[in-house]
Amino acid sequence: MTTDTIEDATPGSPPRKSGTPASDTTGWKWRRSEGLVLNAFSHVFLVVWALMVGLPLLWALWSSFKSSGDILSHPLSLPTHFHFDNWSHAWSKANMGRYFINTIIVVGFSTFGTMLFGSMAAYVLARFEFPGNRLIYLCFVAGMAFPVVMVLVPLFFVTTNLGIINTLPGLILVYIAYSLPFTVFFMTSFFRTLPTSVAEAALVDGASHTRTFFQIMVPMAKPGIISIGIFNVLGQWNQYLLPLVLNQGDTSKWVLTQGLADLAVQQGYQGDWGGLFAGLSIAMLPVLAVYIVFQRQVQAGLTAGALK
Amino acid sequence: MATVTFDKATRIYPGGEKPAVDGLDIEVGDGEFLVLVGPSGCGKSTSLRMLAGLEDVNAGAIRIGERDVTHLPPKDRDIAMVFQNYALYPHMTVADNMGFALKIAGVNKAEIRKRVEEAAKILDLTEYLARKPKALSGGQRQRVAMGRAIVREPQVFLMDEPLSNLDAKLRVQTRTQIASLQRRLGVTTVYVTHDQVEAMTMGDRVAVLKDGLLQQVDSPRNMYDKPANLFVAGFIGSPAMNLIEVPIVDGGVKFGNALVNVERDAVQAAADKGDRTVTVGVRPEHFDIVNGESEGKSLSKDAPAGLAVTVNVVEELGADGYVYGSAKVGDEDKDVVIRVGGRAIPEKGSVLHVVPRAGETHVFATSSGERLSD
Repeated sequence: MTTDTIEDATPGSPPRKSGTPASDTTGWKWRRSEGLVLNAFSHVFLVVWALMVGLPLLWALWSSFKSSGDILSHPLSLPTHFHFDNWSHAWSKANMGRYFINTIIVVGFSTFGTMLFGSMAAYVLARFEFPGNRLIYLCFVAGMAFPVVMVLVPLFFVTTNLGIINTLPGLILVYIAYSLPFTVFFMTSFFRTLPTSVAEAALVDGASHTRTFFQIMVPMAKPGIISIGIFNVLGQWNQYLLPLVLNQGDTSKWVLTQGLADLAVQQGYQGDWGGLFAGLSIAMLPVLAVYIVFQRQVQAGLTAGALK
Repeated sequence: MATVTFDKATRIYPGGEKPAVDGLDIEVGDGEFLVLVGPSGCGKSTSLRMLAGLEDVNAGAIRIGERDVTHLPPKDRDIAMVFQNYALYPHMTVADNMGFALKIAGVNKAEIRKRVEEAAKILDLTEYLARKPKALSGGQRQRVAMGRAIVREPQVFLMDEPLSNLDAKLRVQTRTQIASLQRRLGVTTVYVTHDQVEAMTMGDRVAVLKDGLLQQVDSPRNMYDKPANLFVAGFIGSPAMNLIEVPIVDGGVKFGNALVNVERDAVQAAADKGDRTVTVGVRPEHFDIVNGESEGKSLSKDAPAGLAVTVNVVEELGADGYVYGSAKVGDEDKDVVIRVGGRAIPEKGSVLHVVPRAGETHVFATSSGERLSD
C-alpha cells in the first residue's frame, strides 16, 4: 500500500517542475507533502550533481587566467587579474593551435565520412530486402560490442602496411571505421521509423534511388543524423587511444588530446600550470559550443524515434 | 493519354504460396475511371502498386498504351500516384512538393512555376503554396497530393484510397471533386478503395476483387443490377443485398409462403448440379410490403402471402428507412433488411409481410455462388 502511494506521488511531482506547485487538487495534504519531500530531495541531488560536473570545468576555466604561482598558492581563489598570456602561450608555444587545427580537420572529415557512409549503409539495410541484409546488419552490431583495445595492434600493422600510419588521412579512415557500427545501428532503426510511402512517392515522381536518398530521406532523417553526428563529434574529439597508437610520429600532426597529455607532462615539470589549464580550455570550449548550439536537436533526435 | 492493360498479372509475395494478385485481366480504356474495390487483403492495393512499379510482377504483363511496362521502374512509366497517407515531402513547401517531379524531369523554373500555380488554382491551394505540409489541414494535404499528380500531366493517375483519411463530410465532397476533375482532365485513372459507395459513385467501371481474384468488371449500374456471383451481390450495395437460401420447388423457388418465379433454365441448371437449394438475392428496396392482402401467389390459402418479417431495428434516414428484421426461412431465422418509405416506418416488434418484386430477384447457385438468373 505504501509503495503504491509513493509511486502515485512521483508522477504528480516531476522533479523538473520546481516552480509549479503540485498540480493535483485532490486535497490530500499528506500526499502533497510527500511529493514535496521527494521534490526537494531530487532537486538537492540534481544540484549536487550539477556542481560536481560543472565546478571542475569552471575551475579549469578560471585557473587558465591565473599565474602558475597563484594556482599553487591559492588554488580555489578567483583570478585577481587576467593572465591572457597563458592562452597565447598555450596556443603558440605549446603548439595547441596546430593541434587544434589538426583535430578540426580529422574530426570534421571523419564525422562527415561517418555520417555519409553510415546513413547510406543504414538506409540500404533498413529499406531494401536482399540476401545477407540481416548478416551485414548483425556484423555492424557485433562491431559495437568489440572493444577497440583488442584491435589496436592489428590496426597498427594494417595502417603501417597501407602506409597511412602517422598521417591525418589514416587517422580519419580509422575514426570512420571505428564510428560506423553505432552510427549504422542507430540510423537503421531511425530509417525504419520513417514512412515508406514518401520514398515511393519520390520514385513515382521520377527520382532515382540516389536522389530519393539525398533529397528526401536525408532531410527527413535530419533529427537522427544531427544527434548521432554530435555523438560522433564528441567521441572523436575526445579520442586519445587511437591517435596515441596510430599518430605517434611528427608532433606537427598531433591532435589536441595528444598535445594536452604532452602539456600535462612537460608543463608539469616547468610549473606552467596556467598554460596547462588554458590548453584544457581550448580543447573543451569547441565541444561545449557544439553541444550548446545543437542542444535542441539532440533532444529532438533522442526522442524522435519514440513518437511516430 | 493511354489505355492500361493488366494481362494475367500475378504477384506472389516472397515466402508466400498463394498469389496476392492472381492472373488479373483488366483492360482500362483511354480516359476511363476504373475503380478497384474489395475487402481488405483482396489484392487491390497490390494491383495498383504493380501498375505503379512499386511491386514486382511475377507472371503476366502490364501495359500502358502499347508500351510493356511490366519490368520498368516507376520513373519510366509516366504515372502519378496519390497515396493513402498522401506521402508529402515534409521538408518542402507545397509548391516544391508539387513541382518536385517537374524539377527532376528538368523542366525550367518558369514553366514549373506556371504549372504549379495552375494546379494550385484548380485545387484552391494558391494561398498555401509557401507553406509546409505540417501547417495544412487533412483536406488541404489531400489536395496537395492531388496537385502533385496533376502538375505531372501523366498518362495515368493512380489513387490508393486517397479519401480514407478524411472525415465523412469532406470525403463526400472530395469524392465529387476528384470525379469531376478526372472528367475534365480526361486522364486514365485507376482508383483503389474499400468503400463500395465510392466505387459506385466515382467509377466509369468498377472491378471487384476478392482474395486476389477478379470477380467482375462492369459499369456501376450493371454491377448493381446483375452481380456475377454471391460475393459481388453481397459486397455492392448498401445496405447489402439480402441473400437467402431457399429450396427449389416446381415452377420456381419457395420464398416463405410465396412462390418466386425464376427462369426454368436457371433452376434446372442448379438442379442438374445436384443442388437442392438456390440462393435468392433481393435488394432491400425490392421488397413489396403486402400486409394482409393476398395479391401475391400464396402457397397456402390460410396464411397471408409473402415472407413474415419481425421488425427488430428501424433506421430512419429521413427520406426513407431501413427495417432490420428476422424471418423464418425453412427452419432457420434469417436477417432481412427492407427499405420502406420515410413516412411509413413500421413499429419495432411488428410483423411485415413482404414479397420480392417480380423481375428484381437474383438467383445464385448455392454451391458455386455463380449467378443463375439472367
